[in-house]
Amino acid sequence: MKRLALGMVATFFLAACAGGGGGTTNSAGTPKAGGTLKIALESELRTLDPLKSSQRVERQVYYNMYDSLVTIDASLKIKPGLATAWQYSDSTTLQFTLRQGVKFHDGTDFNGDAVKFNIDRILNAASSPRKSELASVKSVEVKDASTVIFHLKKPDAALLAQLVDRAGMILSPAAIAKGGADFGLNPLGAGTGPFAFVEWKRDDHLTLKKNPSYWVSGRPYLDELIYRPITDSSSALEALRTGDIDVAGTNAIADKDVASVKSDSSLIYKDAAGLSFGGFEVNNASGVFSDKAKRQAVALALDRAQILKNVFFDIHVLSNGPIPPTSWAYDSSERLYAKPDVAKAKSMASGFSFGMKTPNTPGSIQEATLIKDQLSKADITVNIQVEEFGQVLNDAEAHKFDAALVGWSGRIDPDGNMFGWFHTGGGFNDGQYSNSQVDTLLEQARTETDQSKRKSLYDQAQQMVVQDAAYIFIEHGPTQEITSAKVHNFPLIADAIDRFAEVWKG
Amino acid sequence: MLAYLVRRLALMVPVAFLVSVAVFSLIHLTPVDPAELILGEEHSPQAVTALRHELGLDRPLPEQYLTWIGRALRGDLGRSVRTNQPVVQAIAERLPATLELGIAALTWSVLLAIPLGTIAALRRGSPIDVLATGFTVAGVSVPNFFIGILLILVLSVDLRIFPPGGYAPLTESIPDNLHRLVLPAITLGTVTTAINTRFTRSSMLDVLRQDYIRTARAKGASWREVIFDHALKNALIPVVTVVGIQVGAILEGALVTETIFSWPGVGKLAIDSIFGRDYPIIQGIVLAIAFSYMFANLAVDLAYAWLNPRISYA
Amino acid sequence: MSTIFPPPLAGEGRGGGLSLPADIAETPVSQPISLRRLLRTYPRVAVASALLLLLILVTLLAPWIALHDPIATDPSNALLGPSGAHPLGTDELGRDLFARVIWGSRVSLPIAFVAVAVGLVVGGTIGLAAGYRGGATDLLLMRVIDAILAFPALILAIAIVAVLGPGLRNAMIAIGIVQLPVYARLMRAQVLTLKGLDFVAAVRVLGASPARLIVYHFLPNLLNPLIVQISLSAAAAMLAEATLSFLGLGAQPPTADWGFMMNTGARFLNNDPWLALGPGLAISIAVFAFNWLGDALRDALDPRLRG
Repeated sequence: MKRLALGMVATFFLAACAGGGGGTTNSAGTPKAGGTLKIALESELRTLDPLKSSQRVERQVYYNMYDSLVTIDASLKIKPGLATAWQYSDSTTLQFTLRQGVKFHDGTDFNGDAVKFNIDRILNAASSPRKSELASVKSVEVKDASTVIFHLKKPDAALLAQLVDRAGMILSPAAIAKGGADFGLNPLGAGTGPFAFVEWKRDDHLTLKKNPSYWVSGRPYLDELIYRPITDSSSALEALRTGDIDVAGTNAIADKDVASVKSDSSLIYKDAAGLSFGGFEVNNASGVFSDKAKRQAVALALDRAQILKNVFFDIHVLSNGPIPPTSWAYDSSERLYAKPDVAKAKSMASGFSFGMKTPNTPGSIQEATLIKDQLSKADITVNIQVEEFGQVLNDAEAHKFDAALVGWSGRIDPDGNMFGWFHTGGGFNDGQYSNSQVDTLLEQARTETDQSKRKSLYDQAQQMVVQDAAYIFIEHGPTQEITSAKVHNFPLIADAIDRFAEVWKG
Repeated sequence: MLAYLVRRLALMVPVAFLVSVAVFSLIHLTPVDPAELILGEEHSPQAVTALRHELGLDRPLPEQYLTWIGRALRGDLGRSVRTNQPVVQAIAERLPATLELGIAALTWSVLLAIPLGTIAALRRGSPIDVLATGFTVAGVSVPNFFIGILLILVLSVDLRIFPPGGYAPLTESIPDNLHRLVLPAITLGTVTTAINTRFTRSSMLDVLRQDYIRTARAKGASWREVIFDHALKNALIPVVTVVGIQVGAILEGALVTETIFSWPGVGKLAIDSIFGRDYPIIQGIVLAIAFSYMFANLAVDLAYAWLNPRISYA
Repeated sequence: MSTIFPPPLAGEGRGGGLSLPADIAETPVSQPISLRRLLRTYPRVAVASALLLLLILVTLLAPWIALHDPIATDPSNALLGPSGAHPLGTDELGRDLFARVIWGSRVSLPIAFVAVAVGLVVGGTIGLAAGYRGGATDLLLMRVIDAILAFPALILAIAIVAVLGPGLRNAMIAIGIVQLPVYARLMRAQVLTLKGLDFVAAVRVLGASPARLIVYHFLPNLLNPLIVQISLSAAAAMLAEATLSFLGLGAQPPTADWGFMMNTGARFLNNDPWLALGPGLAISIAVFAFNWLGDALRDALDPRLRG
C-alpha cells in the first residue's frame, strides 16, 4: 500500500512537472551526457532501407538514424530538418534550401545531389510503398549544392507532411551503392541522424551509436541505443521492471497493465492523443454491406464506450471519424453514432449476418468477440474469422471480406488519414467506398493551401464519410511514454515515434 | 548384427524419401501462393509471376522437388521469407539455446527419476511407490504449458524469485543465463521425468525378481551392495530404449516451452514461423527434426539390439 | 502423444515388424476377461473407470451444471475473482469461467474421440491390408507408417495444421493422422498372429468360414490391446488438441475450448490467475482419467501377467 501511495505521489509530481498534451516529460535537472538506452520494439524489422519499408515499427529506428528534409514539433507543425527553408514559387514548384555543413555517417557530404538521388530512387523504383506517397512529384532539379527544386504534376498540400516521414529521408548515395543488395540489412554510414548504425543481429538486437558530428551541436546526449524486439507485452513489462529495457514503445505494454505501470514509482507512464484510428473496414461494394442501411445499423448498434472500457481500459478515446483530436482538422461537432441506439438500429436493418476478418492477436479477438455480442442484441450476427494479420490484409486488399478489423496508424496531415482510405480507388480503400462528392472535397483539400479552407473541406468530407458509414470508427489510439524513471526529456509526439536526440539518462 | 544394421538402413531409404516428399509438399499444400506470401503487401500480378519464375515455382513439381532436395543435401535450405536470412543459418543460430534447454531438462529429469524409480521399486506398494506411480501418470497428463504457467504464477508473479522468461547468452552472463534457465528446464523436463521414473521402476522390479539378486541377498549382501553392484546396471539397460521417446518428447515440449518463456531456440522459431507463414523455415526445421529423430531412433534400436542379444532379428 | 506409452508389442522394433518373435506366434488365443471379474480383481480399473464416467457425465449434463451461459459477455464485470455468484470468477469479457470450463468438455472430449476414431479406422484398415496381403503391399504400407512415425507427433500435427490452416476440423485431421500408426501396427500384428497359427490353417482346411474365425478368434484377441490403446490414444489426442489450441492453431474464438482459454489465461496471469488455472486443471484431470484407465487396463489385461 505504501508503495502504491509513493508511486502515486511520484506520478503526480512527474505529471505536474511535465507539460499538458504533447511536449517532453521528466525534463527537470541538468542533462547528463553518456549512457546506453535499451528500447523494446513491438516486432522485428524487415529492412533498414526506407525505400522498401512497410512496417510502422521500422520508423522507430529510422527516425534516429536518418534525417528527413523536414520534421515536426509537438504541435505537429512542420519544422526545418535537412532543409532549412522552403517555398512554393508557384503551385507546382517547391524549392528547398538545404542545410549546410551536414555530413553523412560515412563522411560524404549531404547536398542537392544526394537529395535528387534519393527522390529519384523512389520515383524510379519498380515498386515501393513510397511511390504513392510521392505520386504528385514529377522530378527533382538540383539548382546548386544547397538548393533543390521539386517539380510537381499537380498541387499537393500534403507533400510536406509526407516528406517528414520515410519518403523525405535522405541517405548517403555512396553508402547505398556500397551496401548493394544487402543494404537493407547493413546500412553502414547511410544516415545523417543523431545515431549511426553499428550492427544488426536479427531477433536479438540492433545497435546504434552516437554520431559525434551531428549537425545539432551538443546532441545527442546518449552514447548508444540498443533496440530489442519483444513481441510479448508481458515480457516487455517484465523487462522494463527488471531494467532489461529502459523504454517500451507505444502499445508495447498491454492496456490492462498500464495501471500497474502507473503505480510503479520506478517507471514513468504518460500518454497523449495519437494520430491513429481503429475500428473495422466494411465492404461497401459487394456483399451485405453494399446496403448503406445495414452499415448504419451496425454503426448505431455498437456500444463504443463499452469496448473502450473493456478492451482498451479507457486508454484509447472514442472515435467519431478518421481525423483524431490532435489534428487541426478535427471536427468536434455532434456525431451520429456516438451513443448506441439498438432500437433505431433494428428499425434500419436487422436480422442479417456478416463475417469479420480478425487478426489473430488477443486484443483483436477480444474486441471482435465483444462486438459480436453487442450486435447480437440488435439481431445482427457476426461470424468471427480469425486469420494471421498478413492474411487479413491480403483478403482486405482483394476485397474478399464483409468486415475486417483493421485500423490505421495515422499520418500527420489529415490527407493521410482520408485520401487513401476514402477516395475512390484509394490505396487503402479496401472497402471500395465511392462517393463523388467526397472525392471532389478530398481532391480540393489536397491542393488548397489555406488551412482554414482546408479544414472546412475536411469537415464536410468527414460528415459524409461518417454518415455513409464507409468505415465503422471505434477509437483513436494514444501516443505513450512507458519508460524507466531514469529517462529524461522523452518527447511525447502524436505520431508515436520515439526520437532520442534530446533524451538523457540519469 | 551387421545384417540387421544393413537391413534397417535399407528400409530407411524409402522412409526418408517419403518424409522428404511430405516436407517438400508443405509449401505447396497451403491455400496461399508462396510467391504472394514472400512479396507480402506488394504483390501485384506481375511481381508475383516474376517471383514465381525466379523461384522456379512454375517448373513441374518433380523437377522442383529434385532441385530442392539437391540443394538440401548441399546444406542450402533456402531463405527465410520474413528476414531473407538463410534457413540453415537461422536454425544454427538458435540451436545452442535449444540444446542448452534440452540438456538441462534431461539432466535433472534423469537425476530425479532414477533414484525415485529405484526407491519406488524397492518399497513396492508403500506410499512412496503409490505417489511415484501416480506421478508417472500425472506427469504425462498435465500439459507442459500448464506446468510452465503454474511455475510462472507462483515463482515469478507471486514470489518474484525467477524471471518469467527471456534469455541471456552464456557468453554474456552465466548467472543470468542460469537464473532464466530454471523455470523452462523444469517445465520441459517434467514429462521425461515421469517416463524415466516409470521405466526405472518397472525395469528395477524385473531385475529384483531375478535369481541372481536373491542369491546375492542370500549370500549376505546388503541392499546397498545389491543395488549398486548388480541391479542398477542391468535395470538401466532397458531405459536405453526409452531414450528415443524422450528425444521426441523434448523436441515436442521445446516448441511450447520456448514460446511461453520467450526462450529464443529452434522451437520458438518454428512457432513464430508458422504464424509468420515463413514456410522455408518451417520446412527446414521439420526436415531437420524428422531426420534427427529417425537417426536417434535407429541408434536406440541398434543399442538395444547390441545390449540384448536375446532378441532375434532373423 | 501415444508414443509416450507404447503398447506392449514385444519385439516390435521401430523400423521392423518383419518377423515376430517365436513366443508370440505360439501364444494360444485368449478369451476376453469378464467385466465383473476385472473390476473386482483390479480396483484401479474400477476407480479409473468411475472417474472417466464422472467426466463423461459432466460433459453430457453441462447445460444443467453450468448455471450460467458460457458465451454471454458482461464487460463491466470482467476479471472478477471467485465469488458466490461465479465460483471461478469471470474472464476478460465478463463471462462466467466455471460455465466455460464445464462447457469446454463438450469441445475437448468429442474432438479426442473423433480423432481417435479416425486413427483407428484409417490406421486399422492400413494394418489389416498390410497384414492380410503381405508381400509388396505390406512393405509399402509399413514404410508409409514409418514415415509418419519419423516425426515427433506434435511436430507432425503442427506441420499439418500449419499447412491446412488453423481450426478444430484441421486439428482433428492432424491428430487423427498422428494416431494412425499405432492402430496400423496393432491390427497388422493381430492379423499376422492369426495367419501364423497352425490350427487356423487346419480349421480352414476343415471348411470353417472366415467369419467364424474373425468373430471367435481374431476379435477377442484384438479387443484387449485395443481397449487399452483407445484409452491412451484419447488421452494423447486431448493433450494434443489442447496444445494446438493453446498455440492458437486449434479451436478458434469464441469457442469455449480449454487450450484456447489457457492461451488467454496466460496473458492475464498478472490480473486474474483463475483464467488459466480453471481450464488447466480441467485438461489435466481429463487427460489423467484416460491415461490412468488405459494404464490400469493394460496391467489388468496383460496376458503375460495372468496365469
